[in-house]
Amino acid sequence: MREHLRTLRLAAWLGWQLETNWASPWLFAVYMVIKPVTGSLMLVCMFYAARYATNGRVPAEFLPYLYVSNACFGLVGTVTFGLSYAVVTDRERYRMLKYVYLSPVNFQTYFAGRGLARVAEGVVGGVLNIAVGLALFADMRRSLGGAGVDWPWLLVFLAVGVAMLWAAGMILAGACLNLSRNGMFLSEGISGVVYLLSGVVFPIAVLPVWVQWIGLGLPTTYWLEGMRRALMGPVPANVSALHGPLEAWTNADLALMLLATTAALVAFALWFWKWNERRAWQLGRLEENAGV
Amino acid sequence: MPESPRHPATPSPRHAAKLFVAAALARSYARVAWLFRSRSWMIQETVLPVLAVAAFAYSYQAMLDPRSNPEVAAQYTGLVVLGAAMTTFWLNVLWGMGAALYWERDSGNLELFVMSPAPMMGVLTGMALGGMTTTFVRATVIATAGVLLFDVPVNPTSWPLLGLVFFLTLTALYGLGMMFASVFLRWGREAWHLVNLLQEPVYLLTGTNFPVSAIFPKAVAAAATLIPLTAGMDAMRQVLFRTPGIFGVWEEVAALAVLSVIFLFTARWLLARLERRAREEGKLTVRWQ
Repeated sequence: MREHLRTLRLAAWLGWQLETNWASPWLFAVYMVIKPVTGSLMLVCMFYAARYATNGRVPAEFLPYLYVSNACFGLVGTVTFGLSYAVVTDRERYRMLKYVYLSPVNFQTYFAGRGLARVAEGVVGGVLNIAVGLALFADMRRSLGGAGVDWPWLLVFLAVGVAMLWAAGMILAGACLNLSRNGMFLSEGISGVVYLLSGVVFPIAVLPVWVQWIGLGLPTTYWLEGMRRALMGPVPANVSALHGPLEAWTNADLALMLLATTAALVAFALWFWKWNERRAWQLGRLEENAGV
Repeated sequence: MPESPRHPATPSPRHAAKLFVAAALARSYARVAWLFRSRSWMIQETVLPVLAVAAFAYSYQAMLDPRSNPEVAAQYTGLVVLGAAMTTFWLNVLWGMGAALYWERDSGNLELFVMSPAPMMGVLTGMALGGMTTTFVRATVIATAGVLLFDVPVNPTSWPLLGLVFFLTLTALYGLGMMFASVFLRWGREAWHLVNLLQEPVYLLTGTNFPVSAIFPKAVAAAATLIPLTAGMDAMRQVLFRTPGIFGVWEEVAALAVLSVIFLFTARWLLARLERRAREEGKLTVRWQ
């Protein structure tokens, strides 16, 4: 156990150094803020463009919905993409993957540590993003300040969400062990699918019914709904444009469903990683270099 | 005095032109061949932006309610589709041009390019031509999928004008890409991060998914036209969807033409200067920085 913890700590430190030491701390802080904030501001501009086009008939509640959803989704991208990117960079760029494998550290724990660094980066980025939104937009302050943040539920959804994101990241990283050329884009692709199917920037009721069912099969849909409710409270009854199929669910229902789907995802991730690790070792893919 | 790779005899203009064309064709061949040899990659490079188009299109449909505002909803979905298609060129300029020499250095090809008698501007032109070709295929697939999936009306005021704006936008964009390539030549990992950083802020400034003139103050919108993507998309939107623009279409055409010339000449000057600096600082062969 102590060895696992040491590997976890050192891998997280290595990941953090790789992510941050290319720039001075101030420059890195600016980088951390600009990217997610401008991403959210683009959605804000879309909201105001839609209001401009309809003479203000778009409900004001859309703005915090888009902003908070997008800020939370930043974690999905950071953690899942970060883990698979760690496999690709360690193998293709630094050519260290085979040495990590040869060393006495637990391979899976090493990548869990690399993922922790990304979780830290994602959480800091998300918090800063929401802070900027609160500072700039009155609609955000009304939504987040109105009902008040539901801290206990926020902690529950964050904790289960981190486990879910870690599992999703490990599945993608496991696949990347055996995908030399296309590994970089796999996580981006999955991230794009989740962005669409989980209704990050629109209520999933807008999707065709059969697509809604696929969305409801993803744990991220429940996680995002839970995070939105914990931060902003339920969608007001008079804003029907933001209502979706999870409208009638309580927070406990959402948390239970998230827990169940995450448990299944974690079990699959553990098995899938082992299978991929063994396959990559057998086929010599731990040192395969495609020059990507 | 015998010829050396560092001090080659000045070739005749005809020979220099031949060498330039040969280098450009050879470098673009590698990129175009990739289109046919890496089909799975091509599929994912077209499917991903279609997913993004779909997400933003559904977002507008949720906000605009197509049943009560069918024309506005179709127009705004069209903006998103056009934005996604043009974004592929921006991404290619960043990753395929800007970061290209940095990657070539990591894979060990850069030193071979510099050692060879091929002019570096020829190599960069080849990268641009090859990148434009492959990205054009991607952009066409994305635009077609978006138009068909979301029933976007395509009825430009003038096809030749649309073609002219598109051509000038690409010329200015790839000129800018050549400038980036020269600048990034001297950088290590920060080049990767800078390329990453030039995505979302540029999507915001150029109004990838919304009409810039409706949101930004005139001064900000005018400043944003210094990025060719802003002027190009704004002009194309005026021609395709008749949306109000930052400036008139012909003014934006003129701005794009001026930007193209400036970027191409600056790229040429920067490349010579920064290649020299990189040689002096020993950065042409440094890897894994």
